[in-house]
Amino acid sequence: MSTWTAARAVFAKDVTTELRSRYALSATAVFALASLAVVSYAVGPFGGRPELLAAFLWTVLLYAASAGLAQAFLREVERRTWLTLRLVASPGAILLGKGAVNLVLLLATEALVVPLFLALFGASFRSLPGFVAVLLLASVGLSAAITIVSALLAQARAHGALVSALAFPLVVPVLMAAVAGTRRALVEPGVAPPELKVLAAYAGVVIGMGIVLAEHVLDD
Amino acid sequence: MAWRWGLFFYMAAVTVAAFLYAPLARKLHEQTRIIYWHIPVAWVTVVAFVVAGWHSWRYLATRDLGEDARAAAAAELGLLFCVLATVSGSIFSKGMWGAYWNWDPRQTSIFFLLLIYAAYLTLRAAVEDPARRARLAAVYGLFAAAVTPLLIFVVPRLFFTLHPDPIVNAGGKLEMHPRMFQVFMAALGGFTVLFFWVYSLDVRIRLHQLRQDGVLPGAGKDRSA
Repeated sequence: MSTWTAARAVFAKDVTTELRSRYALSATAVFALASLAVVSYAVGPFGGRPELLAAFLWTVLLYAASAGLAQAFLREVERRTWLTLRLVASPGAILLGKGAVNLVLLLATEALVVPLFLALFGASFRSLPGFVAVLLLASVGLSAAITIVSALLAQARAHGALVSALAFPLVVPVLMAAVAGTRRALVEPGVAPPELKVLAAYAGVVIGMGIVLAEHVLDD
Repeated sequence: MAWRWGLFFYMAAVTVAAFLYAPLARKLHEQTRIIYWHIPVAWVTVVAFVVAGWHSWRYLATRDLGEDARAAAAAELGLLFCVLATVSGSIFSKGMWGAYWNWDPRQTSIFFLLLIYAAYLTLRAAVEDPARRARLAAVYGLFAAAVTPLLIFVVPRLFFTLHPDPIVNAGGKLEMHPRMFQVFMAALGGFTVLFFWVYSLDVRIRLHQLRQDGVLPGAGKDRSA
């Protein structure tokens, strides 16, 4: 079985499992909605400045992603399906499949959170395509980095707070570039901000490293 | 032994030269002195990071736990120098801008480098099995090493910064008085040698411990680090 076929099989398996239980999607979405509500309530009607809005949105998305996406590997360990999965698929295929599932989960959460965010804060984008480009590229980088960290931690048998502790320093470049790009999309027209280059470079570096190091990431 | 005394007197001479030989920079006033400590320790932080990354890569290639010990030693020392760079930077910030911390992009970069070092050491502490710990830490260290250039060199340029230009700025020009540059380079060299000396001691202790524990062969040959 080629890596792509195996990755597609891992992806299909996880999507099917998720559609049955909806555990990861509920965890990510409910966490995001709860944090969005807390931020919106705490800020009240005075949070309309683009610098603050961009920071609020990405803080909510980052923590929702750390809370929800980290489940991908831990659940395999808890259900004792980890060894079987390792036997039937190569490390690269598992990482690709799980990373794709996490990307879909994050995009689904964003589809729910972003319109609500705009409605709650009464904001609108001067450049919607610019924001969508930032959102997509940042989501690819975020889901790739969190997938790799959760793969490491599932083998360390140490989860919980460690996911945020380990993932957060790695995803800071995404967070900073996404905040800057979102702020720009709120106030300026246009689609090709320099932040997009940083986000694309980050996603490329993390995915490239994931491919090179896949055998070492999942070596048990 | 003699060269260690040499290093001691060399660092003492650099300290004296920073106060008596190098002139003050025009806009930095007395805060100029701190660049002879702050930039070298920040440089050593990055050197330690590269050393940790190199030995992490070597571990994955060879599965030799000695390489893991070298990576861990570099990361621990890197964390120490990163704390020194953060503290000296915030003293500079207080003198120049009136606040110890203002989330300037450069401060943000060094703070998150600190978090990366801390996370690496936390991951090491979370795993008991030495081989698994070495592998997971090496992979995490390499990922951190891959994204750090973005954090240090690219992302800060997206934001307005109060931080002075790097020594060799974007135009590739050196904007420093020759005597300041001499003292600065002397401090940079001194701190680099200091780091590698302490690092070699730390590695020897770790390798000795691994030999005593029977993890590495050749108990008693602990001077080969």
